[in-house]
Amino acid sequence: MYEPDDELEAELRRLAADREPVPAELVQAAVDAFGWRDIDAELAELVYDSLVDADEASLVRGPPGQRLVSFAVGGLTIDVEVTSAGAGRTVMGQIAPPQRASVDIRYPRDTVTVEVDELGRFRSGPLPPGPASLRLRPLAGGAGPDIVTDWISL
Amino acid sequence: MSPDDTGKLVRGAADGDEVAWRGLVARFSNLVWAVARAHRLGNADAADVYQTTWLRLAEHIGRIEQPDRVGAWLATAARRECLQSLRMSAKSSPTDDMDRLDITPAVGNPTEEAVLAAETEREDAARAAAMWRAFERLSGRCRELLRILMASPPPSYAEVAAALELPLGSIGPTRARCLQRLREEMAGIRDGLSPSS
Repeated sequence: MYEPDDELEAELRRLAADREPVPAELVQAAVDAFGWRDIDAELAELVYDSLVDADEASLVRGPPGQRLVSFAVGGLTIDVEVTSAGAGRTVMGQIAPPQRASVDIRYPRDTVTVEVDELGRFRSGPLPPGPASLRLRPLAGGAGPDIVTDWISL
Repeated sequence: MSPDDTGKLVRGAADGDEVAWRGLVARFSNLVWAVARAHRLGNADAADVYQTTWLRLAEHIGRIEQPDRVGAWLATAARRECLQSLRMSAKSSPTDDMDRLDITPAVGNPTEEAVLAAETEREDAARAAAMWRAFERLSGRCRELLRILMASPPPSYAEVAAALELPLGSIGPTRARCLQRLREEMAGIRDGLSPSS
């Protein structure tokens, strides 16, 4: 049976493929994403993101360029405050309960390592915007496996 | 590709099979991109959404509860990233930092050369240009829905519903209505009734 709607949709599909193809570098990035899996680590999932979960009113009230994100696994939480200044991002974090650890801030092109202090706090220098994930590595003598967070876009 | 095959790819990738992962990228890359495009993000933000969504799937690949529905999972994840990105832009003044991604913005019209070639090709190109213009002129809801439907291979309605947080049952009727709107816009452009034609 001739379906004019299907026909038109197929034509639109060809048009989109022609005018807005997925950039080849991005397809490669999606393939490469597989290499970032850390199968030995526990995954701390994103449980709160002020940009998505806060109501509009508090979003408007909150300071500009500031975002709060929380990750959790088991009894551990990692709260992160992301501050934007122009194209730069700064990350300040708090691990609860506090533990001494290193935190790798991973993004597709590089990894930056920062230390967690005795109160469970850490902070980064300026980071580029884009996808990022944290890997918490307990210091020698610390308990438990590494923990990685969900990827978010800084 | 049947849902069975998709589920198999997810389970394969969860077991560390990179070929299976590539299969998932081949199947759903365009859908994730379509979600970003439907939300009208700039190039740099669309690239971030796309990349973050795939990185997130890689990390979750062993915990996908319904492997045969991973397309809807991706669409939901991409939608969430889009909303986050839009709110971030609304909150801070956006900086156009496209350079950092080495993404070449989509410029020009690949069919322009064809216009100079044969007459048939000219007509095809004119129709394509008119269709694109008509598409861009649609209202937000229709534009979003059609942009998702334009993903290749064609997405399932479950994936479309996930990408836009719409009830599954509304997709078919809305699609019919929006395609009709598109025809009307195209007719308007063709007849020169439209101010910007």
